[in-house]
Amino acid sequence: MQKKAEITAVRQTSPVGKAVGTVLINLVLWVFSLSCIFPLVWMLYSSFKEKRVFNADIIGLPKVWDPVNYIKILSNKDYHLWQSMWNSLRTTGLSIIMIVLFSFIVGYILARIRFKLNRPLYVMFLMGMLIPIHSLLVPIYVVFKNVNLLDKWYTLLFPYVSFGLPMGIFLTEGYVKGIPVALEEAASIDGAAFSRTLWTIIFPLCRPILVTIAIIQIFGCWNEFSFALVLMNDVNLQTVPLALTQFKGQFASDYPKQMAAMLITMAPIVVMYFAFNGQIIKGMVAGAVKG
Amino acid sequence: MLDSIRPKKSTIYLYLLIPVALFVFTVFMPLVAALFYSFFEWKSGPVKTFNGITNYKLLFADTTFWASFGHNLYLVLACIIGQIGIAFILVLFANSRLARCQTIHRTFGFFPSTISAVCIGMIWTMIYHNKYGILNWFIINVLGRPELAQVWLNDSAHVMLYVSIPLIWQYIGYYMVIMFSAIAGIDKSIFESAEIDGANGYQTAIHITLPLIRNTMLVCLTLCIAGNMKAFDNIYTMTRGGPGTASMVMAMYGYKVSFEQTNLGYGSTISVAIFVLSLAVIGGSQWLVKRATRGLEA
Repeated sequence: MQKKAEITAVRQTSPVGKAVGTVLINLVLWVFSLSCIFPLVWMLYSSFKEKRVFNADIIGLPKVWDPVNYIKILSNKDYHLWQSMWNSLRTTGLSIIMIVLFSFIVGYILARIRFKLNRPLYVMFLMGMLIPIHSLLVPIYVVFKNVNLLDKWYTLLFPYVSFGLPMGIFLTEGYVKGIPVALEEAASIDGAAFSRTLWTIIFPLCRPILVTIAIIQIFGCWNEFSFALVLMNDVNLQTVPLALTQFKGQFASDYPKQMAAMLITMAPIVVMYFAFNGQIIKGMVAGAVKG
Repeated sequence: MLDSIRPKKSTIYLYLLIPVALFVFTVFMPLVAALFYSFFEWKSGPVKTFNGITNYKLLFADTTFWASFGHNLYLVLACIIGQIGIAFILVLFANSRLARCQTIHRTFGFFPSTISAVCIGMIWTMIYHNKYGILNWFIINVLGRPELAQVWLNDSAHVMLYVSIPLIWQYIGYYMVIMFSAIAGIDKSIFESAEIDGANGYQTAIHITLPLIRNTMLVCLTLCIAGNMKAFDNIYTMTRGGPGTASMVMAMYGYKVSFEQTNLGYGSTISVAIFVLSLAVIGGSQWLVKRATRGLEA
């Protein structure tokens, strides 16, 4: 791309021009990517300062690495941090399993089976992708209140699974269409029933796309805030983002403590990200572009 | 479609039952409910009184709501320019043969988009803080201009700009990666012939790269518009729509009316309006872009 043009330009100019270009381009890129990682680093070392020390010098490294904030946060049950981590883990885990399973089933059926409701269902899920989800924030509360679904440990599974389904279904549907029909025909000639073909032949073949769906949704579910805010009032059932906003209110002026809390709750995501970022980035991009 | 395999109808419907029921219940039921309750006066208690189109009349005269809608549009514009614009420039830089460490830039740049909006909001609240924030620290200690330091998020004239910066920053890397993969798919010989024809970097970017990744840019645009029409988490964490209503967005306003003023009837009306306006903006922009680019090709 641009590099070719630059090379011509550089050839015409001089080694000095090339050096200036190299420095400039790399400088801009580094400024950007360091700005992206800086808050994490800043929080990491600042969380080991006591409030007093931090307020005196917000940017310097701590002279003593004091884990007092972590100890206080994790040992005090009133902060519900462990509880909220567990709630988030459970909600995210169950949501992912259901999204992947349902996307697979519905996606496969819509791609392969001829039946009367095929097109109507396809259109319905397509509409689900177009609907501005956030306009459901208040209405979903009203409906859930009417059927007594608020403040249950499984409440959030409803919106998370439903909102994750359309993209999952379309990714699976597109993927299944790329699999040769001959496979299923051979299986059916060999006498395999529908369900058996579905789970023993197609499911393993779809693994790459199902992993992609899971990756996209893990971040979505772990980070989701607005529906959790509206649907969950019980502090014992709060997910991580909710617990953090409460924490922010409680310790408005104690930044090191806020940072420690954020880092603890971010830890699973951050570790996962830096361990598998290649695959995660690929999956998120595939989801964004195809979905 | 498969014709050789004809599973029993009951099997198919059995498989579809749970996901379809779940989806209808959580997505379509609330929409119908919102439409229904938008015609009622309902202050969250057991009493609901039908009041016709009173709520809608109220809505059309509600300046706060329309200002919120304006703020959503502001965010959309700011993020199109900021996120997609900056991302495109950075991608051009990163694609240059002179650039080093592309993988690190990709990993670091994408990172903020994986963090929850609540965390991003909290981090930026700290950055903006008047006493303990990095921004004022930088202005005072590095630039040496203490008169420029201020209580950033209290400035109602510019608060929209200040809340959009974290939003923009969070997703630049995300759009970069999307564009990067699109550019990687372009045939390299095209650039070589451009080079032979003597095109400079700017010309190559505008006349060759941009048209070739047009579809990807449209995807980015759609994501950007849809993403900002639903802005809520950042705003809730950073300003809750304040000071006053200076940074109120539609979803935040709907939340406030419904849960802080416990006015669920009017809240439903606002939800219907959010639904219609978001669809209109997303659909309208798609149509506009398609028309504009069709003109370009002809």
